[in-house]
Amino acid sequence: MGIKKTGLIFFPAFDWAISPTHPEREERLLYTRDQIFEEGVVDLPEIEEFSPRLATIHDIARTHFCIPRVQSQVTEAHLIASGAAMLLGDRIVSGELNNGFAMVRPPGHHAMRVVHGNRGFCNINNEAIMVEYLRRKHGIKKLAIVDSDVHHGDGTQEIFYHDPDVLFISFHQDGRTIFPGTGFTHELGGPNAYAKTINIPLPPGTTDETFHYVLDHLIMPILNDFKPDFLINSAGQDNHYTDPLGSMLFTAQGYADFTRKLNPHMAVLEGGYAIETALPYLNLAILMALAGQDYSYVREPDYRPGMFKERPEKVEQVHKMVESLLDVWAKKDEFDREKLFGSGKFYQRKKNIYYDTDYIEEEQLEKVRQCDQCPGYMIIESGANRGYGALIRVLAVSIPFTACPDCQTEAYEVYEQGKIEKKQFDYIYMQDKSTDTYLAYERNKDQEWVSEGPKPEV
Amino acid sequence: MYIGVDVGGTCTDAVLLDKGQVKATAKVPTRADLLSSLLEALDVIMKGTPAELIKRVVLSTTMITNLIAERKFDPVGLILIPGPGLNHDYYRYDTDTHIISGVIDYRGREIVALNEAEVDLAIDKLAVAGYKKVAVVGKFSMRNNAHENHVASVIKGKYPGWQVEIGHKVAGQLNFPRRVVSAMLTCATRDKYEFFVDSVLTALDQRGIKTSVFILKADGGTLPLATSKEVPIETIYSGPAASTLGVQALIPPGETAVVVDIGGTTTDLALILSGQPLLARKGAKVYDQRTQVRALAVKSVPVGGDSVVERAGKEIIVYSERLGSPYCLGGPMPTPTDALRVMGLTNLGDIDKAREAMNLLGDPLGIRPVEVAARIIELVVETITNEIDQMYIRWEKNPAYRVWEVLQKKKVRPKTIVGVGGNAPGFVSQIAARMGCYPVIPPYFMVANAIGAAVSRPTLQVNLRADTERGIYSIQEEGYQGTIKDRHFNEEKALSLAKEWLARRSEKYGLQDDLGEVEVTRKEVFNMVRDWVTSGKLIDISVQTKRGILHYIGTGVNCSGD
Ligand SMILES: [Zn+2]
Ligand SMILES: [Zn+2]
Repeated sequence: MGIKKTGLIFFPAFDWAISPTHPEREERLLYTRDQIFEEGVVDLPEIEEFSPRLATIHDIARTHFCIPRVQSQVTEAHLIASGAAMLLGDRIVSGELNNGFAMVRPPGHHAMRVVHGNRGFCNINNEAIMVEYLRRKHGIKKLAIVDSDVHHGDGTQEIFYHDPDVLFISFHQDGRTIFPGTGFTHELGGPNAYAKTINIPLPPGTTDETFHYVLDHLIMPILNDFKPDFLINSAGQDNHYTDPLGSMLFTAQGYADFTRKLNPHMAVLEGGYAIETALPYLNLAILMALAGQDYSYVREPDYRPGMFKERPEKVEQVHKMVESLLDVWAKKDEFDREKLFGSGKFYQRKKNIYYDTDYIEEEQLEKVRQCDQCPGYMIIESGANRGYGALIRVLAVSIPFTACPDCQTEAYEVYEQGKIEKKQFDYIYMQDKSTDTYLAYERNKDQEWVSEGPKPEV
Repeated sequence: MYIGVDVGGTCTDAVLLDKGQVKATAKVPTRADLLSSLLEALDVIMKGTPAELIKRVVLSTTMITNLIAERKFDPVGLILIPGPGLNHDYYRYDTDTHIISGVIDYRGREIVALNEAEVDLAIDKLAVAGYKKVAVVGKFSMRNNAHENHVASVIKGKYPGWQVEIGHKVAGQLNFPRRVVSAMLTCATRDKYEFFVDSVLTALDQRGIKTSVFILKADGGTLPLATSKEVPIETIYSGPAASTLGVQALIPPGETAVVVDIGGTTTDLALILSGQPLLARKGAKVYDQRTQVRALAVKSVPVGGDSVVERAGKEIIVYSERLGSPYCLGGPMPTPTDALRVMGLTNLGDIDKAREAMNLLGDPLGIRPVEVAARIIELVVETITNEIDQMYIRWEKNPAYRVWEVLQKKKVRPKTIVGVGGNAPGFVSQIAARMGCYPVIPPYFMVANAIGAAVSRPTLQVNLRADTERGIYSIQEEGYQGTIKDRHFNEEKALSLAKEWLARRSEKYGLQDDLGEVEVTRKEVFNMVRDWVTSGKLIDISVQTKRGILHYIGTGVNCSGD
């Protein structure tokens, strides 16, 4: 009956911090709470607040290879933040809610498929965990994630890089000027998911005007073409003009207009560290935009119209980039596969991943089967050095939801063979999304674990 | 000895308690003149008891609820200072509303000053429109009340005779729209309520009752009647609070139970968890107006013994209206009470009339009276059990903002359904059966509400907020804002400061003997970090006098603190 509401889960984790003075600390959403509560918006008939629930170890294993185990990488706060997104996702898919806002911390968009530690304040990827959950639980086919954090959503990109059914679009401050130093236009996805990753690096000092040019002329047309069944916004707020980490000039109004136009099913809070000058106003404006309410009176205390100007040559540069990315999207089915990805059975890439929070260096070899029946299974060899102690080496195999029988069989052979023959790996993992089975083998103890959920059929 | 009087919508109930034993009870109809009903009930239970033996009188009354329902008050003008946030069109009330410039932020910093010309203009317009009552409410005024105070003082300067309420004094929690409503209703009801309080005090005095007189609040605590004049709306819904406390007193200490109070037109549902009534997470709602009044989590379901039952086609429907007494008691329409009479679940009224009522409904459908009665009872029971389920779901959905709060959430399902109120016996066993619980009809279930009033105890709260970076602190309940001189001010010092203010408040209300054990209900400390260095602390502390009741009835257990 009545109006369909916007679901809100506000989980400020007032008892969790990376460290007492870290930007990702208890205080981060304190003033946001004050603003949201004082406005009384949760009393509006269009908004309903929910209590979060915990994601399970199984839900995490569906998305990540946590080294050595899920329990060693996640705290309860992480399970709650992911669980909050999943809970809202459930209610949106069931039609009970119109859309939702997981205003939660800790954030997640820098967390990649393999997790050796915390990077960019993230351990596990809340959006990716929700995406994999919605596909498994509700059979959602096509999803899209638009990342509006000032930092490139490199974790989300990496997780879905070879996935043709998940479109990932990230706009962010140019990687040459900010962490994590990636997110360039040529990063477009793997051989089976070409142009399903779109990166829009913007020059420092970009304002609402150019931000909305990119939205109107590039992001919206691509989304309208892709037609996702479920659209997620990784709602980072560090593009704000007062953010201490970013150098962009977006405003609360700019963010709210973006939310209104994008009209996502879910917004999941990511970064944003101007905890007093930006977050109270941004979170309020985004929530009101999702709920279809008038946010025009939400203003930062020091905001004056016309206070930001952009250099015309930078604007011109962005317009050109929009042109060329539109062209990539238009021709996404005509690319020369052999020229770009080679003709081998596997396409492979080497990666060096740095965990800035935990000072871990990881070396990774990622191989994806170039299959014409399915998105192809993946084999990942990863070694990480924590700077002390020994190198940990792992072999991980991942089978996609829509894997063909050949890929399924081959992938299990790789896993079983690894257990017996590949003595150099301390841990061997199987992530079989097609049957929702997650296995881990520890060589030292010669022991195998199965995550809860259905056991594999022998 | 203790007296409890509940002036309810249809009945006024009173009890006289002596050391946990019920000495006398009274039940009289509530008339338009609440005071006369109150005194009549009082006279019944006082018969033969010297007034000097009365240690305490506690009242609960629908006085304020009636006033608000019937809108029997002068119009209240509004001057609001909302600043940025929601569009100001959201602040539309059924009265003249003037929105003026000025902004205070979440830490109480003035972002935009008041505009004196706008202040004057708003006041002049209200004067021209004939208003003499004004509520002045600003966003974040509990963090900094300077704007509200200034506007109020300008009004007092121009129109000393006006009645002015300021938001932060009435409603100090975060929630501006609810603060507006709370301030407006306080302003509207204050003078009439003062008159009522004075009449009650005079009447009691004439009867030789010189002891302290209290009024029950929606949250189950009490306030001295005289000081309650400051906060009339805190006494709304004291009736349901009274029943809940009554059940708390009538069941074993520490029990978890659902309270079902079935009256003539409504059924009130409440939860007692491990012996403590559950408080609502948000303020009370009065006729669709959301306030900040702290209240017990009571759900009113519009169904009761006198509800009208009609046939529509082949359906039998229980409506939420009452059109008079049940048919078996000479009323015009069949009711659930008639159904109970037919099923032998009550002795009220005339059995033949009750059967006739069932026939009125059943004859056209060819259904026998017993079957009609069973169906009606089934419908009532179903409505109530559905609402009990909903109540649990709402309670479980309560948001949690900390990791430990999420982890400790678990499903609690009481095993006991306690029925009170006149119509309880007929329905409670079936409600309990359907929910897989034990039914309990305690002794004195007819006057559980008056017992609840009698055993209630004073509660006082103090909410302190300190911002050590800005060197300020405030006491929400007093509207006080002070400075912190101590450079080493910390959590412990904040706690003792809060306790000091609580003691001071107790003294102000003449309750220093009731202070007893102090409960800390909230303690939040946030380090403020700027540029990787701790620059200060935000400390929120809430302390209150111990919640609970004075006596358990019939068990001889005398609770501490008295
Ligand atoms: Zn970021
Ligand atoms: Zn395949």
